[in-house]
Amino acid sequence: MITVKNLSKSFNGKKVLDDISVTFETGKTNLIIGMSGSGKTVLLKSIVGLHEIDSGEIWFEDTLFSELNFTDRKEIRTEIGMLFQGSALFDSKTVEQNVRFPLDMFTNKTPKEKNERVNFCLNRVNIVKANKLFPAELSGGMKKRVAIARAIALNPKYLFCDEPNSGLDPITAILIDALIKELTEEYSMTTIVNTHDMNSVMEIGEKIIFISNGVKCWEGNKDEILHSDCSTLNDFVFANSLAKKLKAAK
Amino acid sequence: MIHFLTQVGRYFMFLRKVFAKPEKHSIYYRQTMRELVYLGLYSAGIIAIIAFFMGAVITLQTAYNTQNPIYPKYLIGLGCRDSIILEFSSTVAALILAGKVGSNISSEIGTMRVTEQIDALEIMGVNSASYLILPKIIATLLFNPVLTLIGIIVGIFGGWLAGTVSGVITSENFIYGIQYAFTPYYIVYSLIKTLFFAFIITSISAFQGYYVDGGSLEVGRASTKAVVYSSILILLFNVILTQLLLS
Repeated sequence: MITVKNLSKSFNGKKVLDDISVTFETGKTNLIIGMSGSGKTVLLKSIVGLHEIDSGEIWFEDTLFSELNFTDRKEIRTEIGMLFQGSALFDSKTVEQNVRFPLDMFTNKTPKEKNERVNFCLNRVNIVKANKLFPAELSGGMKKRVAIARAIALNPKYLFCDEPNSGLDPITAILIDALIKELTEEYSMTTIVNTHDMNSVMEIGEKIIFISNGVKCWEGNKDEILHSDCSTLNDFVFANSLAKKLKAAK
Repeated sequence: MIHFLTQVGRYFMFLRKVFAKPEKHSIYYRQTMRELVYLGLYSAGIIAIIAFFMGAVITLQTAYNTQNPIYPKYLIGLGCRDSIILEFSSTVAALILAGKVGSNISSEIGTMRVTEQIDALEIMGVNSASYLILPKIIATLLFNPVLTLIGIIVGIFGGWLAGTVSGVITSENFIYGIQYAFTPYYIVYSLIKTLFFAFIITSISAFQGYYVDGGSLEVGRASTKAVVYSSILILLFNVILTQLLLS
């Protein structure tokens, strides 16, 4: 479980996140939704420590993560897997080397054990016969899946996904969403997904928080989101004409 | 002025991060071997080509500017040797490497920054500055002296070939010239300068790339800054080291 208490963050005097408090539950796919520029990515990066917060607290279970220094954070970071918006695969390494990297860095497994783990993770995300390819040779969906394989290589307790299906076609996007949900349940991870894709919200949103202009406006699940009385959230959820028509029909 | 001091402070804090204790020595060793090939071995060709032609030009220019019976012919060989050892092999080669290796390092690390690859390393708990940059610094410190020696040998050979083929000096006179009043310390001086320049090129370029903020345009700008700042610092340290080592 990850708990965020009264988190605030500014850049050059401009407040990007204002007094956010939320609990992300274990074994569930937790979604942070909001419009572009609302502060979703800053919140996600603040939780994992890529941005130092101005005030507030971030707890990973019983550990106050936000007060730890770089060295002390290492232990928790080895339990974190993260999928970046652009996949962030290492260009100079092959698919296999990318997935093996955290194993090389943080385990004392034998080369055979590492190979087995790499192949297991790649099979788990349905990547076959691509071990020797470089990221530049992969499609967008494959890159995301390899990035997921790398993220789960060390059996993480926490999985963070920043816009996992941005730039993907709707079918591949649904496959990626389904994979994230499956892995979350399978490994009982605390998963946090940043998205502004309503398809994702309706597919995997077990717990959802809505952020607007750096402020948490709403919290609930995918069943509740359609009946909210938060006008900003309704504008976001029913932004496209199809959704508007469905709402009108209902 | 405040911006300059901030940047200097940031640079030294960056170096502290770079020289932190490595996470896993075997991985750093492999990275260093890779960088020895990419930054060192792959630079040997350009250094050899430029050294060859510089040696040739120095010989021909010295010959045409000393067409006086008072000057013994072997001075051409001596001039070629000292110019190559004292300045070309270390300073001019460093300026060339600032362009080739410096821009390469800066753009590689800058691209990793804007594509979140550095963030991915940090998330895993890897000290990204140390993992990416320390092997590059070690590799250039190890291999740039070799490049300097290659520059000296090929440069003097280029001078000999140009001099003898063009007929401005005989082979015997040139060889006598390069042996005349030889001071071995000049080689040491050149190698010491090379070590300083290698550190400047790698650390300044990596610093520029590591703190890129933005997109491809900023990566390009960082690359340009890396070459300009490295070159200025090389020239500045050339004066300081020459005064300290030869005075």
